[in-house]
Amino acid sequence: MKSAISKITLLVGMIFFGMSSLLTAQTQEYTLDGMTFGMPEAEVYTEDYDGPPVVGEYVTQLPNLAPLDYEGNKHHEVRIDIIVQEIEVAEGVRYQAWTFGGTVPGPVLHVKEGDKITFVMKNRSDEEVTITDPAKGGSPFMNQVANNPYQKNSAAIMPMPHSMDFHAGTVAKDDKWRTIGPGETIKFDWVANYAGTYIYHCGTPSVLMHTAMGQHGVVVVSPKDGYDTGYEVDREYVIVQSEYYLTPGAGDLYTYDFEAASSNNPSHVVFNGHQTILHDQPLKANAGERVRFHVSNNGPSGTSSFHVIGGIFDRVWLEGHPSNEMRGMQTVLLGASGSATMDMIVPEEGKYILIDHEFVDAEKGATGTLKAGPRKK
Amino acid sequence: MRSQTNRVILALPLLVVMTIFMPEVASSQTARVLVPEGSFHSVLPEIPGEPVPVDSFYMDETAVTNEEFVKFLKENPEWRRSEIPPIFTNDGYLREWRSDLDPGYEKLGENRPVTRVSWYAANAYCSDQGGRLPTLNQWEYSAQLMEFESKTEMRTFSSELINWYSGIDVNNLAEVGSTQIENTEGVKDQFGLVMEWVEDFKPIIADELSLDCGTVGRMNTLGSVYSYAASIRYITRMSFNAKITTGMVGFRCAYDEPAPTSQYENGNTL
Repeated sequence: MKSAISKITLLVGMIFFGMSSLLTAQTQEYTLDGMTFGMPEAEVYTEDYDGPPVVGEYVTQLPNLAPLDYEGNKHHEVRIDIIVQEIEVAEGVRYQAWTFGGTVPGPVLHVKEGDKITFVMKNRSDEEVTITDPAKGGSPFMNQVANNPYQKNSAAIMPMPHSMDFHAGTVAKDDKWRTIGPGETIKFDWVANYAGTYIYHCGTPSVLMHTAMGQHGVVVVSPKDGYDTGYEVDREYVIVQSEYYLTPGAGDLYTYDFEAASSNNPSHVVFNGHQTILHDQPLKANAGERVRFHVSNNGPSGTSSFHVIGGIFDRVWLEGHPSNEMRGMQTVLLGASGSATMDMIVPEEGKYILIDHEFVDAEKGATGTLKAGPRKK
Repeated sequence: MRSQTNRVILALPLLVVMTIFMPEVASSQTARVLVPEGSFHSVLPEIPGEPVPVDSFYMDETAVTNEEFVKFLKENPEWRRSEIPPIFTNDGYLREWRSDLDPGYEKLGENRPVTRVSWYAANAYCSDQGGRLPTLNQWEYSAQLMEFESKTEMRTFSSELINWYSGIDVNNLAEVGSTQIENTEGVKDQFGLVMEWVEDFKPIIADELSLDCGTVGRMNTLGSVYSYAASIRYITRMSFNAKITTGMVGFRCAYDEPAPTSQYENGNTL
């Protein structure tokens, strides 16, 4: 009798899982207000893939942004795999991060308004993936990390189900953003309909835990006609603010601190994933130059009052959308998952401090340096 | 309950015979623990005020070990890594093992829980033992049969549990029975070692639950960090499919009957 029950269970299980893979969504592409909606159903499958975890021409390591060297729109093929890495977030503070592509935050994807993206992501949380060796066929991100592994990444394993939620995408989340288990791959299309800087993050509950563990990054969607300024900027940088909630673990590593996360009390608030990286490796510019910052506050839970000591933002586009232009801002308030694109004239040679003017955050690490050389032109 | 008692009485002489004539088998049996009937609050939707009832059942005291799984594979070659049909598993099945029947104990340990087994393989193992995987409710009910001296102690335990779910060190799993965590009946390591397969890990209701940022909050029905930890466990389990194999998921079996020797060893399981 018992074994009969088991066999029935087995059969029911097989039918159940077989059926769920046959269900198909009814989707058809259409346009509205010049934007494209209605992407085909996401595919979930298993694949023998052990290549570079980040693939795509316009995918870079923070604070870099890949130049868009094409006219009109482009169909991008992008891969960002989920891998686990032991990383350094401050001197002497290492933990096993859940990551997109191996760093926290994950790689920066740069596209143009109206571009289509075919996105592939394998959940490789159950295999050790090294990202500090130069990789063939990878994105610029892979080489940049190999040359400058500022989080001192080393491969680790912590198998968990994960998902991808691109805020830059407009799709049904129960299809495209669905959770995949270790060893599974998901593939789906989306169109970058709106210009701006958008967070991406894991949407698998506890989303607080998954995001705080490191699963977030940004997509920069440049407006198809650019920002209406009448000038070209000299430099562009991407800055992501985020929080860590860590507590010393049993061994050398730090671990997630649930109590701290649920009471909004981060152990570190950082720019570009590391407490001192923007001081150790200051952003560079020269006096008289125009610098454009794409700043995203990836949270998961805090706000950012972004300011540059010694500067005023000449123009600010809230969320990075060209219609949302503001002038002459000292501080830009970014809610969790909020962003802005800010142009600043670098007044003179010297140091400028990027800071979250919520000083409790600044003292936990949310500061950085822009180092300006003498005027060149 | 009465019919179960009757069955046990009928089986008793047989047990005695088995104990005498099969000492080796008997000594290698994993102890089964009787989990008495009762009820508990799940984090899944339930009728208000009506806890989920659970009948009594037996469950392995500890998770299935590498050594025990080798024994199963010796007798069931179709579940060996080189033989298992791809419809029953992903590629990672027993990936770290040196060969079909050799886990490489110096690295993986005889008494560490077997992991990287699919739900199908776990199911087959339990069936072979005369049991089955525990149901979701049985496993959870047993896991929640824990006594805390104070709310503070429960809170601390649950916080640690949540943190543990974020950092299971799959390359250095401890031996079964070593976590010092056990329920009031003596079932060990349901927390702190690995996550475990259950029979209906993806209940039908899983499709109705929208897994999003608010799910954890909506599941927080017990109003405590205890249910917060439970919701992470439920959601993680529901996100698997039956072919998945991972380094943090093992299993143990449940039964309708006591082990052939468990009464002899424990004396008091009934």
